[in-house]
Amino acid sequence: MGAAFNVENLCFKYPSSKENVIKGITFDVHEGEIFGLLGPSGAGKSTTQKILIKLLENYTGSIKYFGKDLKTINNSFYEEIGVGFEMPVHFSKLTALENMKYFAGFYKKTADIQELMERVGLWEYRDVKVAEFSKGMKVRLNFVRAMLNNPRVLFLDEVTNGLDPKNARIIKDMIAEYRAKGGTVFLTTHLMNDVEQLCDRVAFCVNGKLMEISTPRDLKIKYGKREVKVEYRDNGTISSASFPLDGIGDNEEFLKLLKSGKVETIHSGETSLEEIFIIVTGVELK
Amino acid sequence: MKSLAKLIAGELKRLIKYNILPVSLVTAIIWIVLFLFLSKEEAFELAPILIFVDVSAMSILLLGASHHLEKQEGTIRTMMVMPISLWQIITAKNVSSMILALESVLVTSVALYLIHGVTFNYILLLIFVAIAGAAHAAIGFALSLRSRDFTAMLGKLVGYMFIFTIPSILFSIGVIDEKYEWLLMLSPSHSASHLITSALTGEFKLVMTIAACAYLAVLSGVLFKFEVHPRFKDNAARG
Repeated sequence: MGAAFNVENLCFKYPSSKENVIKGITFDVHEGEIFGLLGPSGAGKSTTQKILIKLLENYTGSIKYFGKDLKTINNSFYEEIGVGFEMPVHFSKLTALENMKYFAGFYKKTADIQELMERVGLWEYRDVKVAEFSKGMKVRLNFVRAMLNNPRVLFLDEVTNGLDPKNARIIKDMIAEYRAKGGTVFLTTHLMNDVEQLCDRVAFCVNGKLMEISTPRDLKIKYGKREVKVEYRDNGTISSASFPLDGIGDNEEFLKLLKSGKVETIHSGETSLEEIFIIVTGVELK
Repeated sequence: MKSLAKLIAGELKRLIKYNILPVSLVTAIIWIVLFLFLSKEEAFELAPILIFVDVSAMSILLLGASHHLEKQEGTIRTMMVMPISLWQIITAKNVSSMILALESVLVTSVALYLIHGVTFNYILLLIFVAIAGAAHAAIGFALSLRSRDFTAMLGKLVGYMFIFTIPSILFSIGVIDEKYEWLLMLSPSHSASHLITSALTGEFKLVMTIAACAYLAVLSGVLFKFEVHPRFKDNAARG
């Protein structure tokens, strides 16, 4: 698989700011992967995404989109990408279907609007004005809007924020199916559940710099402890014990505990992405 | 061209759905009612001022309202990530603003003819309204793009009218002496007013009319290229 994006030493400064908001970041987004950019508010995630979708242009460094300099690519770029913004992006006095048909009209190739809207449970509300939609319905319509042109690369910002678990699951399943068909996803979020379930690789953005780029699995191993924690019931009370992973098959105490039949839970010492987020960014998730 | 046509059709549809066109029509109808109570001479004197207000202040106001509403709805941002150029988006909005101005001219002209039998050079009026409308659309965009919200934009519009529009109205009703007219031509409002009055009365000060056309055309070009175009994208990106 090649790279959908090669970003090298990217720097960006807003005209009104004194210092760079993005401070020399380098990363690749591989074709066919779900790449998560994580970080606290104001870390530079959204700015990075806006640069990649050509909303912000006066950057330094190099960005290549499937090998071509992003600065040299014209508006045909937008035939190939889909962008799902966090905030609703629809004409509120038009119906959901009117909105989708209007946006779809500008693309050469479009997806089946009915199929997409049915999948996210909005087809029956197609003739309702978007102004009457709940927040969750607008979020789902945002996702349909992003998928309208069968994009090659999908940019999603807080894609499940405001959705109930059932609808969040549907959207995540659709993203996973899109990736399985070869699509590339650039995801910015602070919802670690989404990251755990979707991302192939993640990068942590802190104060305009990338602190870590790896797979969620490798990060969990790197920041976790190589141990097994066992909870067991002993004389009616819950007790716990930790054992090093190395040589655990020969650990007599561990094996004895297993054979005792008192074990209630066993967990490896890998840490959660939420804990890694706090360690790397120094910011607690709310 | 196909995308531009779709953009213009979308703008027109939204003018109706967002009640902007109906509100503009109601305003025009109020003028018609006014004409019923005026003599032919009074109506003919008032008509240039009414058309001028619609082409200048009302255009800026409606364009600002529509821009800030779309900004609030996030639709400008989503339009920026579609395979259409920024110039196409701006042109479509300019055309829709122009249509509002023309609708008002049409209603006023028909009313003047039906009520008082007044006719004038309609072709010339349309050309002049198009020139003045484009300049005021550019001014409307410039004011909107420099304002955080619609309220802030209204404040700027009041400031603009105080400096540029009120002196022109004062000139129209004879409060400002004619010897200051060339100085007043620096005001886009007065240049627009001069063109509209010329087309309606058929009385031309040729050099001044040519100067007004050239000034408004250059002003539109400069504002669209150096103010509206660069700020539009920046504005959409920042949300």
